[in-house]
Amino acid sequence: MDVFLSEKNRAVRRSVRTFCKRELMPIAKDIDQEARFPWEVVEKMGKLGYFGVQIPKKLGGAGMDAMSFIIVIEEISRVCAGLGLCLSVHYGVGVYPLMAFGSEEQKKKWVPPLARGEKIGAFCLSEPNAGTDAGGIEATAIRDGEHYIINANKVFVTNGGVADFCLIFARTNPEAGRKGISVLVAERGTPGFVVGDLEDLCGMRANPVSSIRLYDCRVPVENLIGKEGMGLQIGLRALDTGRMGIAAQALGIAQAAFEEAVRYAKERHQFGVAIAKHQAVQMMIADMATQIDAARLMVYRAALLSHQGKPFSQASAMAKLFASETACKVTDMAVQIHGGYGYSKSYPVERYYRDARVTRIYEGTSEIQRIVISRGVLGM
Amino acid sequence: MDLNIIVCVKSVVVDAPEGRVVRSTESCELNPFDRPVLEVALHLGEVCGGAVTAISMGPEASALALTETMAMGVGRGILISDPALAGSDTLATATALAAAIKKLAPFDLVLFGTRTADSDTGQVGPQTAVLLNLPLVTWAHSIEPVTSGLHIERRADGFQEKFELSFPAVLTVHPGSVQPRDVGLHGIELAFAESKVESWSLKKLGLSPEQVGEQGSPTRVLSLKRIKKERKCEFLPGSAEEQAAELVRRFVDTGMVV
Repeated sequence: MDVFLSEKNRAVRRSVRTFCKRELMPIAKDIDQEARFPWEVVEKMGKLGYFGVQIPKKLGGAGMDAMSFIIVIEEISRVCAGLGLCLSVHYGVGVYPLMAFGSEEQKKKWVPPLARGEKIGAFCLSEPNAGTDAGGIEATAIRDGEHYIINANKVFVTNGGVADFCLIFARTNPEAGRKGISVLVAERGTPGFVVGDLEDLCGMRANPVSSIRLYDCRVPVENLIGKEGMGLQIGLRALDTGRMGIAAQALGIAQAAFEEAVRYAKERHQFGVAIAKHQAVQMMIADMATQIDAARLMVYRAALLSHQGKPFSQASAMAKLFASETACKVTDMAVQIHGGYGYSKSYPVERYYRDARVTRIYEGTSEIQRIVISRGVLGM
Repeated sequence: MDLNIIVCVKSVVVDAPEGRVVRSTESCELNPFDRPVLEVALHLGEVCGGAVTAISMGPEASALALTETMAMGVGRGILISDPALAGSDTLATATALAAAIKKLAPFDLVLFGTRTADSDTGQVGPQTAVLLNLPLVTWAHSIEPVTSGLHIERRADGFQEKFELSFPAVLTVHPGSVQPRDVGLHGIELAFAESKVESWSLKKLGLSPEQVGEQGSPTRVLSLKRIKKERKCEFLPGSAEEQAAELVRRFVDTGMVV
């Protein structure tokens, strides 16, 4: 698999792995149980450049390629999926739309602190009545002179509890249907910007997922990203990058579960031999290894296409679909290999099992990925 | 007090697919015991001013380990690489390193790790110091710059020794002396995009092929095989107190507890 990685990519992997082993591994179990966002580690991650992997150097980022971004997400997720999610959403659907559609002034104003991890980004699309059907959002941003007045109720906002910089999808023209949706920046602290209660989630518990509500929140017209009516176009482009990140996250979770399963299978004895000697376990190990390998190939291909500036929407959707479903299958098998202990919090595989499940849901369900892929195949 | 510090590092083998040792960028990486040494050097450079240079000897693939030192903050990386160096033992390696270090004079401090992760002789640092005719302190645990040079604390065999050392000098640095800094992405990008590892041949060092490689090596590795560690589990009988007493007795008998 390393044949796809440059020496620089491998150096990135080594450094992130070393950091995770020392800083994240000792607390990963606790921050999951306590549902705590580990600011003390996040600050260090910011200084090391993890929040700005692909952001150009002149804007405070590391100026690296998409493969390095994928590797950082994969390695962090291998230890703590909630923080892998934080990074993926921060850049993939938080900063990237600004880089792709924002003006130079907007980039200069917002990107440097985001690149350094001093501020954290979020993507606010889902609402109580709109998720997969993004065109059904009800939030409004009505122009009033040099401002927009935003009213919105956004739910399941990843990083919501800590985000300073939120991309809000809202209708600037309520009569124009899907073409009336725009993207605006709302910053924490603006009057009317309210962070709701944190969700008590099954997995990804280190990530402060919350609702964000905007009540008559006035933002200057300079906070509009792109032009009015470009909202869905921006959102879909962002999700191509975002899905690649989520695919890498799922890959990291699967890899962690696989490593634990292999270790346990060699240690645990039943019928006088290590359970790794039993063919039933060997079959599972082989399936896990093969599926992870295939998922990794797909994720790396999407990253390579993105780096080469080629279309990667289809590859990204396929990678996200396959990697997330692989994560669920692999974590399930890892629990099975552990038997009763796998269902206990004494072993980490139950956490991986919980973390994996949502990767099939957010940033486009497996079902919507299949629709994206089939449209690409059928040309419809 | 600007210090000119030289750190000698090694690219060690971490993977031998199908039992074969092939030194490539995939199978080798910077010796983990060298990272604390680099931290000591970079910290001294930050406190006292000056420059840090890393040197390594090995095939071309070893340049990657030097690039990693530059990602940590080292200013200059030099790889001693020449086909005639193949088969060098520790003395031949020290001969090449000493020749390169002399080329970098004037210098104040030459630092080594105490060991490497792939062969663990611990000889190269002391041998190089002897060839350079410089004072040496091994297993340095803490290093403090003072007006006259350095105060070194050395810990070994349950004792703590303190030394005062004037420049130039050689140290081997205990791996537990400091926590090496994390390598950030900015440093990696800078090292790979803009830094270039210099390559020095034997000719540049002024050495002849007879002084290094197999010809210049008084020792030979005759064979290499993995030692199979066997573990056995034994249940000690008796009450908890009796079991504990028996366990302690065995530890004492085997020299694990004094």
